[in-house]
Amino acid sequence: MDFGDKNKQIIMEEFSIHTRKHDDIVLLDLNGFLDAHTSVELEKKFEELLAQSSNKIVVNFQKLSYISSAGLGVFMAFIENARNNAGDIKLCGMSDKIYNIFDMLGFPILFEIYREENTALDKFA
Amino acid sequence: MGKSNKIILTSSTKNLAKVRDFVGEQAAESGFDDSTINQIILSVDEACTNIIKHAHKYDESETIEVETSFEKGEFKIILKYKGKAFDPNGINNPNMKEYFSSFKVGGLGVPIMKKFMTKIEFDTKNSDTNLLTLIKIIHG
Repeated sequence: MDFGDKNKQIIMEEFSIHTRKHDDIVLLDLNGFLDAHTSVELEKKFEELLAQSSNKIVVNFQKLSYISSAGLGVFMAFIENARNNAGDIKLCGMSDKIYNIFDMLGFPILFEIYREENTALDKFA
Repeated sequence: MGKSNKIILTSSTKNLAKVRDFVGEQAAESGFDDSTINQIILSVDEACTNIIKHAHKYDESETIEVETSFEKGEFKIILKYKGKAFDPNGINNPNMKEYFSSFKVGGLGVPIMKKFMTKIEFDTKNSDTNLLTLIKIIHG
């Protein structure tokens, strides 16, 4: 079965990024489902931020319901660049369901993951 | 006799949400708890993503047939597709320490599937139709 334009529209809207600023730190609020389809949007956002030399980034997962390895790959693709430019990509606000995926694969070896957004922000001080 | 259900989808990442919804509903009907349902959904997403990316190279004229069945505590998801054969059992899990120290990207779909599913089977029929079967045994 194939799906009509209406369904495609709904699926396209299942992921969104809201951007905030806190001094020189950019905060990204992720909403919805991050998979091989929607991860392109996050990739574009990181490309845009790093091109503008916004290398200090906190990603808040509080409203993210789902992540697959395609989503995890986006963080792997940009962390080195951010750190090489005196920045970092710090992660916070994950549900247990999302954290378990990161943890199972060993992401806490490379990434700083905090429960609270304020803690992640303070770590840039 | 076990219950069986099937959908056929265009091979596109746009349809991953549909696959997840379908498999999630079938797994819930089979009596798995929420945590296990999430593991099954993620494994099937990873398998379909690999097919779309590697076997079909994003060619939307290709299709993936997703069939589920549940019998004697065994929940099966059979992914039927044409194209390049790929048996996840032939892939070793990456050394994650090395993976992170060299900032690698990709290659985590198969380790996720292997971790969360009880068993993975792969077969090719009539020389061009691949059958990738993900199996989860209840309480297994």
